[in-house]
Amino acid sequence: MQGSLRALEPSILKGEDKWVRSVCEICSSRCAIEVRVVDQKPVWLQGNAFDTRMHSSICARGLSGVSQLYDQDRLRTPLMRVGQRGENRWREASWDEALAFVASSMQRLKQNYGAQSMLFSSKTGESFDLLSSFAANYGSPNTFSHWSSCPIAIESALEQTFGERAYRDFEHADYIVNFGHNLFEGLDIPLSKAMARFAANPSKKLIVLDPRFSIMAGKADEWYPIKAGQDLAFVLSLLHVWLRDAKYDHAFVRRYCIGLDALKASLKETTPQWQERYTGIDAKTIERLADEIYRAAPRCILDWGHKATTSPAEFQRTRAILIANVLMGNVEKKGGIYFAKTPEMLNALIQEPLFPLLQSPYPTPEVGIARIDGAGEEGSAYRFVPKKHGVLNAIADAILTQQPYAIKGWFLTRHNPLVTVADPQKMRTAMASLDLIVVNDIYMSDTAMMADVVLPEATYLERDESIHLHHGLVPSYTMRNRALTPLHRTRSLHEIVRSLADALGFSHAYSWKTMQELRAYQAKGNSALLESLVKRGYVQATIPHLFLREEASVRAFCERYAHVELRHVLEMFERRRKTPSGKIELFCAHIEKAFEGYGVPCAVDMDVQQNYPYTLISGKSAIHTNGHTQNVPYLHALMPDNPLWMHPSTAKAHGLRQNDTCYIENEIGKEKVKVFLTEGIRPDTLFLYMGFGRQTPLLPKIDRKGSSASKLLSLKTAPVCGAMITNTGVRIVRA
Amino acid sequence: MAKAYRLIFDENLCIGCQACNVACRLENDVPEGVYRLQVHVTTQGVFPHLGMHFERRSCVMCDEPPCVSVCPTGASFQSKDGLVHIHESQCITCKYCILACPYHARFINPLKNVVEKCTFCFDSRLSKALDPACVSVCTTEALRFGDVSQENSAVAMLSRKETLLFPKAHLGTKPKVCFIPARKGVKV
Repeated sequence: MQGSLRALEPSILKGEDKWVRSVCEICSSRCAIEVRVVDQKPVWLQGNAFDTRMHSSICARGLSGVSQLYDQDRLRTPLMRVGQRGENRWREASWDEALAFVASSMQRLKQNYGAQSMLFSSKTGESFDLLSSFAANYGSPNTFSHWSSCPIAIESALEQTFGERAYRDFEHADYIVNFGHNLFEGLDIPLSKAMARFAANPSKKLIVLDPRFSIMAGKADEWYPIKAGQDLAFVLSLLHVWLRDAKYDHAFVRRYCIGLDALKASLKETTPQWQERYTGIDAKTIERLADEIYRAAPRCILDWGHKATTSPAEFQRTRAILIANVLMGNVEKKGGIYFAKTPEMLNALIQEPLFPLLQSPYPTPEVGIARIDGAGEEGSAYRFVPKKHGVLNAIADAILTQQPYAIKGWFLTRHNPLVTVADPQKMRTAMASLDLIVVNDIYMSDTAMMADVVLPEATYLERDESIHLHHGLVPSYTMRNRALTPLHRTRSLHEIVRSLADALGFSHAYSWKTMQELRAYQAKGNSALLESLVKRGYVQATIPHLFLREEASVRAFCERYAHVELRHVLEMFERRRKTPSGKIELFCAHIEKAFEGYGVPCAVDMDVQQNYPYTLISGKSAIHTNGHTQNVPYLHALMPDNPLWMHPSTAKAHGLRQNDTCYIENEIGKEKVKVFLTEGIRPDTLFLYMGFGRQTPLLPKIDRKGSSASKLLSLKTAPVCGAMITNTGVRIVRA
Repeated sequence: MAKAYRLIFDENLCIGCQACNVACRLENDVPEGVYRLQVHVTTQGVFPHLGMHFERRSCVMCDEPPCVSVCPTGASFQSKDGLVHIHESQCITCKYCILACPYHARFINPLKNVVEKCTFCFDSRLSKALDPACVSVCTTEALRFGDVSQENSAVAMLSRKETLLFPKAHLGTKPKVCFIPARKGVKV
């Protein structure tokens, strides 16, 4: 089988046999892994047990890292366009030629239109930090992460409510309400494992709200097939009941929060009866759940999910969920939600440098030019979107109108917006008008098909990278260590960026040339940390878990560190929060000022169906990562396409049967689908897994296989947070 | 002393992610299109009263294996630990064993043209005191493997605590692979 060990010479299975500890990158969960390397060839992958949450666990995608590595369809050498843009005519080029072309083209654009005419995009993580630094030193403010097509509503709601990120202690919770956070398909092994143990424990209770009978729903004690996009109505009525009956943590709210009166005023009408027509869940159930949840608090979590974007009211939905947690008083309680205990915080508390501090090897100077989407600019619709992340949905219009200024080039790092961003038809038209598109990736992608230059990237098994600090109850450090030298003429983004920085004349911005120098700079010469990370791939000091409002936890911490005074630990929670009011904000005055009706959760913008008969929803599978892994041989064999989930009664109404072909369409697009009949979906809802329906003739195995939900999504974004809205109204049309 | 191997599959923990399936393929170099191990996920019931069923399909290592008694050449045999194996060199691909297996666990390896099935990763792992690949990678630790005659082994403790079901027990094959059935969802 292509991409399997059989594709290799048998002789490699003898000789040196070693383990390399590293970090997975087949998806963005980035689990700690170890790779068995026999005679310099990776033959096996598993979880890195130095991260005790992993044990040796790894998912099907993670295991398939080996299959991806040896896939004959990978990009092996730089390609340069010879025909029209997108025509699929290429010639092979040397690295020197390809990089010289990129550097001279970028130099030309900078001279003619200004550096801001170049866009840069990548998924968050090391490549994004590096690319952002590259963009800033070149002089462009226009960096885009995947955030606005994924978790931006959650990140934004957390920032506005708490002034920082919060985390969920699934391990110790007794009761969890899950709003479509499908941890059993969008896998993150430590989290998914904790959730699986939770769901399998008969003394705990899991409620799942999802229009689809997902794996998560299959593990629930109670599943409610809520109407798509109506999570907000459910939560508003839950909050209504608690406030009506004065069932909330009064002391906590009084001491740490502002805006209770505004919240009460906003929720007067959102009764359990009111929400029935939106969610399809009866009022009695809401009353019972409200009571159960209140009694389970504070060891109870309303799980805000990861990527949801159920409706334009996404910011409101997520804020309402966060506020429900706050009213339960589960903040900094075991089995509730907590904030990161950072290295700085812990070192100061225990008065010893137990947790190494890192310095960023990626200098990112302020550019001083407004972005094309206005992100972070006072007065802009995207003023609350972080400047660093931007709004992907704004790109196509900005290019097509050349507003607010000329946009001529785009540098994309393993980013495939023609699959993962709304309205790829419009994006393709916009891309066709650019002067320069540079894509680096490990495979040809729909987006790379539109490029002038395609730079083949080494896979994560072939790359050394920097140290990554993970926040949580206890900080941990991981580092990607390569298991082998690149199989083909591929390079890492670090090598690409460093060469381009030299050619573009800002080599001085970087204090490193090699990865060894970069790591040493980042670790501030802490060779013990580096040695440990090279050997183990994962480092975490053992200290007691600290929940600041859990007395037993604080006492246990003070027993371990006898010189730490109890009151010093308790005072940590009393500090001013990084919100405008310094408190947890149930009401955000500055949001209300800019977006009337958005300062406090209320029933707005919940309609996603928009007069169409059906709502199309989409989600992740455990077999593939978004638009990234469809060609990986092992994974392709398991899941070569993505038929449309349809309830049998819906199919009957349209005269459709299993495996029939039909179209779904709306004002944005029309997509051919194959019908998959299942009882596991609401009759008014249709579902597609993400990442299929590709247009990549150079990957014939996946070209035009399955369907893309993105082709039916509007470029309209959710107010405040700028999130792409991934539920949409559609109609069914016979083929 | 002979081992009493047991593999326990907890349907409550399984999420159907197919990590075991891919691990098996990678460890044993199973060719495309055939499987030693799969987990089938099915939705049962009528909307909205549903249940999800996770069924692990592989050789169950019978104590009374029908595949051994029908083999005309002795290629299918049972070890002293009761594990069922195949001497590839003696297999004439007559397919008697494939028909005799009530668990549909055997298939012909198209590259080697011999009958193949799960071995608990005997050569590469079990003989070196390592867990089978599927057990080792399971994302949610839904699989437990060990010697049930050892009182303190994880499988012995789990066997005392849980009600175990043995697939097609009525056939008298006495499988070493068993499961803990799902406690949630509608049963059909």
